[in-house]
Amino acid sequence: MTDLFSYLIISAVIFTIGAYGIITQRSGIKILMSIELMLNSANLNLVAFSSFNGNASGQVFALFSIAIAAAEAAIGFAILVALFRARDTINLDNINILRW
Amino acid sequence: MFSDFAALIVLLPVIAFVLTLFLGKKLPHGGAYFPIAAIACSFIISLGIFLEIYPNGIVQQSWPWFANMNIGILIDPLAVVMLMMVTFVSLLIHIYAVGYMAHDPAKPRYFAETSLFTAAMLGVVLSDNILQFFISWELVGLCSFLLIGFWYHKPSAAAAAKKAFLVTRVGDVLFLAGIVLLYVNLSNLISNHLFTPEPGNFILQFKTMFEAAALIDPTQLTYITLLFFGGAVGKSGQFPLHGWLPDAMEGPTTVSALIHAATMVTAGVYLVARTFPMFALTPATLGEHFPALFPAHVPDSLLIVAYVGGFTALFAATMGLVMNDIKRVLAYSTVSQLGYMMLALGTAGAVLGAKAVGISMFHLISHAFFKALLFLCAGSVIHAVGTNDIREMGGLFSKMKITGTTMMIAALALAGIGIPFLNIGTAGFFSKDMIIEGTFEYGEQTGDMIPYAFAIIAALLTSIYIFRLWFMAFTGTPRSERHSHESPNVMTRPLMILAILALFFGFTQGYFYPYLEKNFELMHVEVAGHEGAAPEIPVIVILLPVIVGVLGFLISYAIYYKRMLDMSKIISSGNPIYKLLLNRYYEPKIGADMIGVKLTHGVVAQSGEFVDRKIIDGLVIDGIIGKTAFWLGETARKLQTGVVQNYASVTLLGVGLLLLILKLRGV
Repeated sequence: MTDLFSYLIISAVIFTIGAYGIITQRSGIKILMSIELMLNSANLNLVAFSSFNGNASGQVFALFSIAIAAAEAAIGFAILVALFRARDTINLDNINILRW
Repeated sequence: MFSDFAALIVLLPVIAFVLTLFLGKKLPHGGAYFPIAAIACSFIISLGIFLEIYPNGIVQQSWPWFANMNIGILIDPLAVVMLMMVTFVSLLIHIYAVGYMAHDPAKPRYFAETSLFTAAMLGVVLSDNILQFFISWELVGLCSFLLIGFWYHKPSAAAAAKKAFLVTRVGDVLFLAGIVLLYVNLSNLISNHLFTPEPGNFILQFKTMFEAAALIDPTQLTYITLLFFGGAVGKSGQFPLHGWLPDAMEGPTTVSALIHAATMVTAGVYLVARTFPMFALTPATLGEHFPALFPAHVPDSLLIVAYVGGFTALFAATMGLVMNDIKRVLAYSTVSQLGYMMLALGTAGAVLGAKAVGISMFHLISHAFFKALLFLCAGSVIHAVGTNDIREMGGLFSKMKITGTTMMIAALALAGIGIPFLNIGTAGFFSKDMIIEGTFEYGEQTGDMIPYAFAIIAALLTSIYIFRLWFMAFTGTPRSERHSHESPNVMTRPLMILAILALFFGFTQGYFYPYLEKNFELMHVEVAGHEGAAPEIPVIVILLPVIVGVLGFLISYAIYYKRMLDMSKIISSGNPIYKLLLNRYYEPKIGADMIGVKLTHGVVAQSGEFVDRKIIDGLVIDGIIGKTAFWLGETARKLQTGVVQNYASVTLLGVGLLLLILKLRGV
């Protein structure tokens, strides 16, 4: 029980760091990293619950999620690279034409 | 064996349509081989089915579609003769068109559209339920729009296409209303357990309709049939929706031959013939309430069909007398002859019952042959002379012997020339005589001789205008400097084939009438119609159609060949009757200017616009509703800052709130 609890605490901490990063950071790369943090905190939860319940499906699910996260990160970085080439910046404050 | 492939009759031309449309450009003759081959196959299948089911067979195939509707094929005598006629005439016209359209750059489009048109018409003929019938019917209308406007760069052709589409649309709406009314009545009968369709039968199938027709409230039945007839009036160019047909001559002549002679316009007559048992069941209230005006014991709908048809036959023939455009004369002739077919259904239907269908269809088929022939001859003449105006033709016979001869044969058939008592004559002689005798019998039995008068006078006028056309085009001195020449073989051969049919088709009457008379018996439908003892038809009545036919020939011969009467004086003196006829009874003025521009656009559309722009827009756009909406939008759009962090914060806030609410509610 205490085992699971400490995992959940760590996961919550990582998640909060990620959320904080997304809200405060201006650099596209940092935001992507923060998103990865949040995603992995969720994975951690999955694995923790899976091991606690003695059921492997959570871990399998986490593997899928990691694979998809990799693809997603690749796309995200590709966008950022393209953006940098076009605008010479990845500061998201300057990339805000999609608005009123 | 052939009946297993009945669906192919429709599908082959559809496939040809797709192939020609997409591959036609790369092939010789614009891919004309596809439709020709497809329609030839359809003809062979139709012929095979005919040989298979003659004399007592019937082909029925049906597949469920949606809800209580089906898709199906019904080939009874009525359908099979139509099938053979449509495929055969269409085949000849397609072959002819290879020559006629040789110089047109848009050949693939032409052949694709005529192929689709043929498919649609065959769909109409094959349908075993009224919904499928209507769908094909609309497709026919669409194709006629496309083909009339084939030379769409000509403003007059574009306008004619529009007119044809809109005018027939009036009829189509009535037809659709009739179907809806029929459906409502039938489903009421079924839900009240007054009528149960046999298992496997669908609600809008013709056989179900006929079974239930006697149970439908008679007044409702009159409305239904009259609405159907409204559709037929639009499609078959009957008064007052006849105006589109002469204008539709703007299309290529082959289109006129295909659509406005042999197939599409006959769809209206076919509709009335197809639903004839329902027409015959309508009550005879008109004669009851207005004994002074209408004969007694004639079903209302048939009476109206007879009068509209008879009046149209005469009315259109008068205009045919003065037209100078060779195709317009033929167009009015078509309207007039369609009037005859309606007249036959109405009058003979009232006294002879199901025989009327045979009489009408016989004229329909023989008319299809000789009128297609007339149009193709006209096309051959136009091809040679380069003008539509018969005043600029003349003296063509020496140069165009085949066209001239075949056109003479067609004219004789149209005028109904033959030798009575010996039973020798052209196709029109047999078919038109039966109609006129039918109207006479109707007159004898009901005391109403007006339809007979319509028929006889129209027969005289028919003979005059068609021989006027022939004499003006083929005799006399050439009135224009052109090197006219006979058309190529690919065009003259179809003319000869059609001429043979126009001459000899009449001799099939002994088989035709009994075969078609059985049509409704085979479907187990009783057709009402009080059969009295057939009255002795006086000799004069048998002779009169031929007499007026010959008389018309002599009048035209005297005026237009011998020049015994100088028509140009009458024309130049501004004769009021001539002006009235030449201006087509001011129908274009009344139809387009008065009803179209002044009434519909000027009054209805303008007041609609006023309500929409001033009142509704005034309230909504400039009023409080519009202002509030604008203000709300202006304010709320500021939320979209474009800064990702703001969106993320709001999302987080939202999730947090959601969790809080869930927690507080103790979930």
